Amino acid sequence: MTFDKPRRLLPALLVAAALVFAAAQAWAGGVLKIAREQDSTTFDPIYTILAPDIWVFNQFYSTLVRANADATGIEPDLAETWDISPDGTVYTFHLREAKFSDGTPVLASDVVFSLLRARDDEKSVLRSMFSPIDKAEAPDDRTVVLRLKGPSAPLMSTLAMFAASILPEHAVKAEGEAFGEKPVGSGAFVLKEWKRGDSIILARNPLYWEKGLPKLDGIEWIYVPNDNTRMLKLKAGEVDAATFVPWNQIKELQADKNIQVQLDKSTRMDHILVNHAHKPLDNKLVRQALNMAIDQKAIVDVVTQGFGTPANSFFPLDGMDYNPANPNYPYDPEKAKKILEEQGVKDLTLSFALVAGDTAHDQIGVLVKDQLAKIGVTVNLNKMEGGQQWDALVNGDYDIGVMWWVNDVFDPDEKAQFCVSGDPENRSYYTNYKNPVVSDLVNKAAVEQNPEKRKQMYYEIQRIAKDDVHWIDLYYSPFRNASRSNVKGFVQNPLGRYMLETADIVN
Amino acid sequence: MGRYRFILWRPLQLVPVLLGVSLISFLLVHSIPGDPVRVLLGTRATASVIEATRAQYGLDQPLALQYLYFLKNLAAGEFGKSIIFKVGIPKLVVGRIVPTLFLLGYAILLSVVIAIGLAVLAALYRGRLPDQLVRVYSTAGLGLPAFWLGIVLIILFSIELGLFPVSGYGETPLEHLHHLFLPSLTIALALSPVLIRNLRASLLVEMEADYVKAARSRGIAEARIFRRHVFRNSLIPTITLLGVNIGWLIGGTVVVEQVFSVPGLGSLMVSSIFARDYLVVQVVTLAFALAVILTNFIVDIVTVALDPRIKL
Repeated sequence: MTFDKPRRLLPALLVAAALVFAAAQAWAGGVLKIAREQDSTTFDPIYTILAPDIWVFNQFYSTLVRANADATGIEPDLAETWDISPDGTVYTFHLREAKFSDGTPVLASDVVFSLLRARDDEKSVLRSMFSPIDKAEAPDDRTVVLRLKGPSAPLMSTLAMFAASILPEHAVKAEGEAFGEKPVGSGAFVLKEWKRGDSIILARNPLYWEKGLPKLDGIEWIYVPNDNTRMLKLKAGEVDAATFVPWNQIKELQADKNIQVQLDKSTRMDHILVNHAHKPLDNKLVRQALNMAIDQKAIVDVVTQGFGTPANSFFPLDGMDYNPANPNYPYDPEKAKKILEEQGVKDLTLSFALVAGDTAHDQIGVLVKDQLAKIGVTVNLNKMEGGQQWDALVNGDYDIGVMWWVNDVFDPDEKAQFCVSGDPENRSYYTNYKNPVVSDLVNKAAVEQNPEKRKQMYYEIQRIAKDDVHWIDLYYSPFRNASRSNVKGFVQNPLGRYMLETADIVN
Repeated sequence: MGRYRFILWRPLQLVPVLLGVSLISFLLVHSIPGDPVRVLLGTRATASVIEATRAQYGLDQPLALQYLYFLKNLAAGEFGKSIIFKVGIPKLVVGRIVPTLFLLGYAILLSVVIAIGLAVLAALYRGRLPDQLVRVYSTAGLGLPAFWLGIVLIILFSIELGLFPVSGYGETPLEHLHHLFLPSLTIALALSPVLIRNLRASLLVEMEADYVKAARSRGIAEARIFRRHVFRNSLIPTITLLGVNIGWLIGGTVVVEQVFSVPGLGSLMVSSIFARDYLVVQVVTLAFALAVILTNFIVDIVTVALDPRIKL
């Protein structure tokens, strides 16, 4: 700094303040302080799909069943056991003895109420995912029977997701929309205080059913939107953990012996949407040429500083039924150029929809523009505000555009339905991609009861989608968190859930 | 008589100004592309859910109608509900005003302390090294971006020296003082150069004024002349300048609250703009406008109190 700092006037204040507050920074016991980049908006599990909301209320709601730690299968949660009828249409769940944090028992009627609310409430964001449920019944306090309209392979996965959180019927009815501020659940933690825009304080739920858990006395989520400030807070020891480590700070933090960086398996994938409704992008060979001209390795090295992996499928690396051997296009600008010539494509200009001010989008934009220039394609970087980019994609007002995806459920059905089925509502993630063979396979896989057969169907879907270039796969990347070295188990599962009931601070 | 009329009239002038501000902020925030419902429901919500939510918040109504509803509700003392947070705006805003006021007051205090100290120093050592250093600072300081300065101060005082917390607000007034020191200093370092230049210049003018020479010739001590005459008379333009800068100061808190995670109105404003939480942006803008107008009002009164010659 080039100017004279006002040292002469401040030393007294500096010293006095430091002395007075030395005591205030004493160690806070078993409360895990987490600095995160966004604040919550609501704790009502059916009115949101925002990750910052879900990651917090995951800690105080239970579901009937839950995804296991690596999100490859189901394990019991409130339901100890379950039976499925041979035709796959009747699911019977037997509940364990559990209590809500207000002391009332978790009843089968609460389960029925919660699932039907997720299916029927007109503002329930993911209600279509619950539509396979025809009837839900509670023959006694500890038995829940779900009757389906037909067999549904992803149902258990859906029942393990945040929107299927089991809420106490009496509390939801008494509070109405205010329930989202005063949540009552049966999970490992309870909400103690929500200081909007500042912090969310959770305390251990003494009534939690799993013996010996949670290990922590509480959790404090602190809202620190600035990336640098968040990492500095961790370095200074003011928080125990911090989310969303910027890629360019990972190495520096790894070098700090007081800090550990967790790069956890994830279902995150970044890709370039291609608008099939615009000529000549309706031509499969042209799309293939574009794909071959894009150097995935260069992009992943620049954007994620080498911490990501080039993607060979639209299924996530750490997700169910991902095919690691799915054939990918090699980077081959010469061949790409030749294909374009053969197809008679000259002077192609593409409008690239990007989010302004987003570092990754800036980098991808520059690299793609440069790479496609080598095959004679001009790319116009159309940088927009986030909501505007989203509108451009939804309205089909783009040629290519950057997007990303993290799975909500571990079952691949949701992603296949949304991204390649050609469903008229979202038109394959607004790309207008439609292949009847793929649509048919997606529908068949959704009801296939044999896991091995189903897997083969998804392998086939991945292969055809890649061959069709429904979009251009970019890269997979891990979730990136950092914590002080005395924190154990500050990890996310591949769906993004923080597994904090088993986390701990050791001294 | 003129003075009393002024004190009665000015609050009445508020009404058209605030109406104008409300209309402009309404039009601006609605003209930004994007949609709060999309932010809220994310990329995978179906059209029917989006429609239902939009209808719930009256966002399906024509713009003019939405504005009239907003005014009608304001007149009835109803500020409406945040679309994103799903709670009443007063509830969202009330807790946020205190940290922002605290930060503003603290920043003004530090700015004034720094500005007076350095300007007096510069004036007394006119042309010599202290003066030159202060002038370098008062020029260079004008161009310092607050977000950059904030991070530099954090690295220096929090990470290297461990004297102050990186961010946050604290629980007690003493903790507020501790937590808000660096953010206030950031604002003060950016604001004080303007004040220093102004105060130094007036000090120099006053030091050469005839009445000062007269006082000197009567053998009054130099320190007494400076304190009683030069300093006091130089302060008036600086206070006016501080009042004029209150709008700039509020803008400064918006940036600084982001960098230092201060849970104030500024960070609420930023997150609400990003989320297109229309009503919150409109209400907070009105609150800021009201603050600026009231401060200017108070500055006018203070100026009169300091110098009875000034007419309003």
